Amino acid sequence: MDKVIKKYSDHPLRSWFIRQSLDYPKRTIIFSILLTLIVGSGAQFFIIDDDMIKLLPKNLDSRVSWDAIQDEFGSTEVILVAFGKKGKSVFNPEAMATLWDLTEAIESTDQVEELTSISSATRMDNIDGFMEIDDLQLYRDLSQQEVNKIEEYLNKNPTLKKRFVSEDDEYLLATIQPYESGSLNTFRDSVTAIAKPILSNYEVHYGGQAYVTGTMPAMIRDDVVSLARIGILIMVTILLLNLRSFSGVFLVIMVIGLSLVAMIGFMGWIYHLTGSDRFLFTLANTSMPIILLTIANSDGVHVVSKFFKELRLKQDSRIALAATMDTLLIPIFLTTITTIAAFATMTLSPIEPLFGYGIVIGAGIGWAWFLSSLLLPAVISLKKWNKDSNAITKPSIFEKIINRFGKVVLTHPKYVFSVGVVFVIIGFTGLSKVVVDVNMVKFFKPGSEIRDSWDFLDEEMTGTIDIRVRVEGDMKNPETLSSMIKLQSVMEEDEKVITSYSIANVVEQMHRAVMNDDPNYEIIPENREKVNNLFTMYSMSGDPDNFSTMVDYDYKVGLITAFSKVMTTTEIFDYVEKMNQEVKLLKAADIDLEFTGMIVILRDLVVMIVNSSVLSIIISLIIIGIIASVFFKRILWGILAVIPLSSAVIINFGFMGYFGIELSHITALLSSIIIGVGVDFSIHYISQFRRLSRSVDSKKLSKEVIDDVGYPIILDAGSNMGFGALLFSVFLPIQYIGGLMVFAMVSTSLGTLTILAALAELLKHRLINKG
Amino acid sequence: MKKYFLIYLLSSIIYGQSGIEIAKMVDTRKTPKDQSNITKMVLTNSKGKQRTNIVRSKSMDGNKKQIMWFMEPKDDKGVAFLKIENDGKDDEMRMWLPAFKKVRRISSKKRGDSFMGSDLSYEDLSTREIADHDYSRLDDQTINSKLCYVLEIFPKKGTNSSYSKHISWIEQSTLMILKEESFDKRGQLKKKKEFSNKELYEYLVMKRIFVEDVQKKHSTEVTFEELKVDTGISINLFQEKNLKRLPKN
Repeated sequence: MDKVIKKYSDHPLRSWFIRQSLDYPKRTIIFSILLTLIVGSGAQFFIIDDDMIKLLPKNLDSRVSWDAIQDEFGSTEVILVAFGKKGKSVFNPEAMATLWDLTEAIESTDQVEELTSISSATRMDNIDGFMEIDDLQLYRDLSQQEVNKIEEYLNKNPTLKKRFVSEDDEYLLATIQPYESGSLNTFRDSVTAIAKPILSNYEVHYGGQAYVTGTMPAMIRDDVVSLARIGILIMVTILLLNLRSFSGVFLVIMVIGLSLVAMIGFMGWIYHLTGSDRFLFTLANTSMPIILLTIANSDGVHVVSKFFKELRLKQDSRIALAATMDTLLIPIFLTTITTIAAFATMTLSPIEPLFGYGIVIGAGIGWAWFLSSLLLPAVISLKKWNKDSNAITKPSIFEKIINRFGKVVLTHPKYVFSVGVVFVIIGFTGLSKVVVDVNMVKFFKPGSEIRDSWDFLDEEMTGTIDIRVRVEGDMKNPETLSSMIKLQSVMEEDEKVITSYSIANVVEQMHRAVMNDDPNYEIIPENREKVNNLFTMYSMSGDPDNFSTMVDYDYKVGLITAFSKVMTTTEIFDYVEKMNQEVKLLKAADIDLEFTGMIVILRDLVVMIVNSSVLSIIISLIIIGIIASVFFKRILWGILAVIPLSSAVIINFGFMGYFGIELSHITALLSSIIIGVGVDFSIHYISQFRRLSRSVDSKKLSKEVIDDVGYPIILDAGSNMGFGALLFSVFLPIQYIGGLMVFAMVSTSLGTLTILAALAELLKHRLINKG
Repeated sequence: MKKYFLIYLLSSIIYGQSGIEIAKMVDTRKTPKDQSNITKMVLTNSKGKQRTNIVRSKSMDGNKKQIMWFMEPKDDKGVAFLKIENDGKDDEMRMWLPAFKKVRRISSKKRGDSFMGSDLSYEDLSTREIADHDYSRLDDQTINSKLCYVLEIFPKKGTNSSYSKHISWIEQSTLMILKEESFDKRGQLKKKKEFSNKELYEYLVMKRIFVEDVQKKHSTEVTFEELKVDTGISINLFQEKNLKRLPKN
């Protein structure tokens, strides 16, 4: 007996691992915890940031144009603050005084580059032959007559009015631009803190990309903490029901907790060392802790449940533990490698945070393996186990279910296989219905504050999706300016595009003012000299800084800005295509234009998400197939290993199509998660099939395999219901991931125990003979 | 009363002139009746990009009447500007726009607005009325080996100003300003200005101004070339009709 214990395993490496836990448990525990804490200390560098622009690769055309615009014209990410009272016109002295206070207070902070509102705008008039450029709102306290003059001026300049007042005149709008280098969450907090007391008597709506981006870190942080709590609660409940041992549950939770600490720390360290935005914790990463929890849980559950089973049989904890680890070290290592491989394919994604996601979760999964293979058995070996407890002496509910299930598969393999195939076919037909949508507004539930504000700004104000055209050319050349005006009219032909403005509009306005306010002159002057005279005159009477968001310092680059209401993906593609055609025509006329803005970013993201998802699925299936083929020394095993996964992926995406769940950069993670987590079931099944095929009669083989691995697989899938925690997320795509992952766990585990088991049963003679 | 007078007398002896007295001394310093020069203005933005404007300028009454003809950039050649400051009333400003063949009057209500896109505002260029400001004297300082009075200047309530305060360094021996810092309404430093002067006949006149808007990270260097003083400029020069043609000298 002693000899058996000392030897532990036939394989020297497995033997070494087991020796660390059984012979040097305290050393192993201290070393594991210390190493985890060192890695975990990187948490101090961990940063939450969810800037949509950072999703794009830096060399992508639309990102390059976006960055160039930010550099030339300042940040284009703004916070919109709309306030007013339903049913009451804002053209009253009280509302104007409030707007004045808001403008003054926000402008006085050092984070604001520019605030645009009626209180900060200028007017251009021709009064008794005077070309007068003056503040639109001269002072805080206005008489009703003075307010009426502002209203009159804005009615005369409808494009300007759309930027400041809602369609029904019930709300005022302030657009706040931060300094490019500033942090958006500090900026957002600062703006809302200032606005809150000033606007306490009004209905207030916040919006804009900067607001959403600035709001996200706190929302993500709260969401992650809340989801982790719910996830652990679900896991503990399921584990307790099945393991029926507090100590067993504690051991699994210990592995989970330490893996999480190591992963967060790793993410912090790697961000600290590389400085790459790929390692920022974004909305897409919100699902990461829960995914790690479930994977780490899976490793721990296999070890603990197998140990209980072995202890029941062998009645000696050291022998039981040695046998457990000898059986599980390879499958756990293999599942770790295949899961890491599935997530590693995310590094091929052009979406920046998905690269970081793949690397960081890979590290977390690796750490979970390290802890499950060394720390967990070391702690188990130190504890004195009660061999008479229910957990060890009696099979659990899951084990009983599995026994019945095994009989069904064994008796009707073709029937079971056919049912699986029908599901896959149904899923396949749903694939064409999958809609890709990356609009952030859809990430929030209808009725939530952020969604309602966004919808309000979309309906009542200028819209929230910005469209930009960078125009390179002589900004004093009438032909360039006329082309810009022409392009703007084409842009505004779409009913969802509410307004557009550029320096060309200002030139038209100046022209009219110089020509005695004659509306017939609200056109681009016919020659360059006149345009230049207008700019010079403005520089003598107004602040040329007013143009800084529309034209560069040298008058060589201009910017057309337009705002649109939320468009569907199809509308975005059609619109961008139409605009690119227009841009091509103008380029032929010797003007260099680049069409960009959030709308193009959204279009590019859609393309990248589709490419990324397809690429990730194909590559991860190939890699897993290769790994399984190599480890199990047979290509057929490689093919069989990926069949349940492919089926689960098809069924999941098909269901997304049927249920109208959009594919976004968040839900695009699903394929990697399904494959990464689901592959474990196939590996465990195949591993056990091969092992038992050497000793068990072929007629009883499948039954024995299902008996043996069915329980851990179902328990694994059951405890992976921790994914269900994601259903409690405040972000809709994360909720969808939660729901779909619960479904995926069911489909992959059942797929393994039905499709894979049925196929293995059907092909057993070939597999056993040549296995 | 006697007691207060005695304190005032004593402090005057100990500290010399008060802030307002220094301001008055500066204001009454001998200045030319008229001036003409070529003004070169180099504007540099936060990214280091530069723009250069050159104008021919003639002025009298300490710049209260000024006429300018634009020479550079070439695009602006022919544009001309006339400014006449009126006490107690808005300044009168007119521009000749050669492309439109029209003279246009322009508004000067926003004194804080930039002049020709530079870091100098109309307020910076206008005469600072002593009656509209409060002066307080700080400890003397030496700048470039020149002993200076240091004055804190506050616009009085009701004065149309975009500043909350200025600190000026005035060379004691010449009463010429060498340096000034201006603070915005929030009390934050807005502009730093440096001045250098040259002697021309019996006058000391400015030959260079360097202004930096520290908030916008934008700067302007103004240099005055071909400086002439007391050339006998006629008041009739400051009329609309003279905007249309560039004088020969």
